Amino acid sequence: MKKVLFGVMAIVLLCSHDMFLKMDNYFLEPNTQAVIQLFNGTFEKSENVIDRNRMLDVSLMGNGQRIQVDSTQWSEKDSITFLNFKTGNSGTWVAGVSTAAKNIALDAKSFNDYLEHDGVVDMLEWRKENNALDQDAVEKYSKHVKTIFQVGEKLSNDWKTALGYPIEFVPKENPYDIHPGHSIKVQLLYKGEPLANQLVIIGTEKSGESTTIEHSHDGGEPHTHKSGETPDHDHNSGLQLRTDEAGMLDFQITNEGVWHLRTIYMAQSEEEGLTHESNWATLTFAVGSGHSAAHGSGTEDDHHAHEEGFPSYIFLLFSLVIVAGLFFYFKKKK
Amino acid sequence: MCIKQISAKTFFFVMLFFPTLLLAHDVSSGDQQILDGGGLWSYIWVGAKHMLTGYDHLLFLVGVIFFLKGFRDILKFITVFTIGHSITLLGGTYFGVQVNEYLIDAIIALSVFYKGFENLEGFKKLGTRAPSLLGMVFLFGLIHGLGLSTRLQTFDMGQDQFFLKIISFNVGVELGQIVALIPIILLINVWRDKASYEAFYKASNVYLIIAGIGLFAYQMYGYFNGH
Repeated sequence: MKKVLFGVMAIVLLCSHDMFLKMDNYFLEPNTQAVIQLFNGTFEKSENVIDRNRMLDVSLMGNGQRIQVDSTQWSEKDSITFLNFKTGNSGTWVAGVSTAAKNIALDAKSFNDYLEHDGVVDMLEWRKENNALDQDAVEKYSKHVKTIFQVGEKLSNDWKTALGYPIEFVPKENPYDIHPGHSIKVQLLYKGEPLANQLVIIGTEKSGESTTIEHSHDGGEPHTHKSGETPDHDHNSGLQLRTDEAGMLDFQITNEGVWHLRTIYMAQSEEEGLTHESNWATLTFAVGSGHSAAHGSGTEDDHHAHEEGFPSYIFLLFSLVIVAGLFFYFKKKK
Repeated sequence: MCIKQISAKTFFFVMLFFPTLLLAHDVSSGDQQILDGGGLWSYIWVGAKHMLTGYDHLLFLVGVIFFLKGFRDILKFITVFTIGHSITLLGGTYFGVQVNEYLIDAIIALSVFYKGFENLEGFKKLGTRAPSLLGMVFLFGLIHGLGLSTRLQTFDMGQDQFFLKIISFNVGVELGQIVALIPIILLINVWRDKASYEAFYKASNVYLIIAGIGLFAYQMYGYFNGH
């Protein structure tokens, strides 16, 4: 019975994976309605919604002010949690969600599988080196996620605000002020201090790109995933970097589109009834072709860029001039 | 004051400024947010909004209405156009038929050109007979529906009530079409009795030809440079 229970818990944990804050469009107009999606699963697919009472903090940071978001602004659909909000004035905004910790008990095998599956390789190594692979675990875990988005044209400094979460990524440059070809520095903080030598997995999704595009891992067979399908393997073979002594990552922005960073920091726990504690962090942002091209850039999907590319007033003026000119021409001719 | 007593000049300026309501295909990323939170009603709203702001669809219908005289005729042709675009909108979206939106919008632009050309007796001047208008309206209805379907498929619709969402969007398109057509039909019919109607007719249809060519060129430019 205990094994079955462990198995069920392991499935739950292995299926839950990461949490991300995502947006359909990271370039928003000032003072308009917008939506942030909270994905709990993979970056591509949310497996389940997050109970509101688990959200210790939901914040929007912009124009130098931090706004605590009311839980009534959340709604759920298709396993995704949505935050409806109104954008403020122009600036580079940050949104963050920090969840309360939960405990989970796992048998040794499930725990090892999970460490491998989710890229918690340091703990797995430690268990191998210390002959602890056969030890069951009771883990306390919590997730702390952020997204950075651009409202209007004006850049502001809110993007570098640390929200004070147990673990969080803080960029050292404004992602909306850079374009492909440049590198970006991002610092990882744990309890407010730089976290050194921590493995971080970085992914990117070009506009319109997803795992439906053929890809391979570690030189393996090329393959695709159907739209909406959750891959049955992990994607840890993406860009994997370790933070330096100052908790810093420095990586190249190779393309326009959405970028996401994730890490799980796990430590042994001295707390009674626990063996481990983990803190999960993710960060998402989009890179356009540079700030001047922020609006209507490739981070919007093709349709929206297509739709918004033609200024309506030009069409109106053009139409008025043509119809009026033709009308008077034909009237005079008659 | 009876609407027929309003001067042709007044109608002319009303007609000129009416397109402000019709411009710009104002279906944007904001609509995704409306769809995410609003249930089936939001699909009706976005469908209606798309039709009301979709100048290419409406320019084509303006061209069709110019050709028609009685209410029965209008009802018949609009019904055929509606059946045509409903088939491809519902079927195309349900079965996930994907077409390049620049190319489909380019063909829709050609339908605008076609109607202006036909109204100005372009086929007669070329010495050929124009194809059946009812058949062409049905064919262009299918193409416009495919354009609407392409647009709808760019939104994340989720899996819940998928077919009902498509139907709701289609209902919205029809409602938007009715709202847009009523003033257009009224204006064209009232102007028909005015002395300046011939000039207005020619100006409007030459404009349809120019707009059709312009929109076609714009979409083709987007096709070759927008990807």
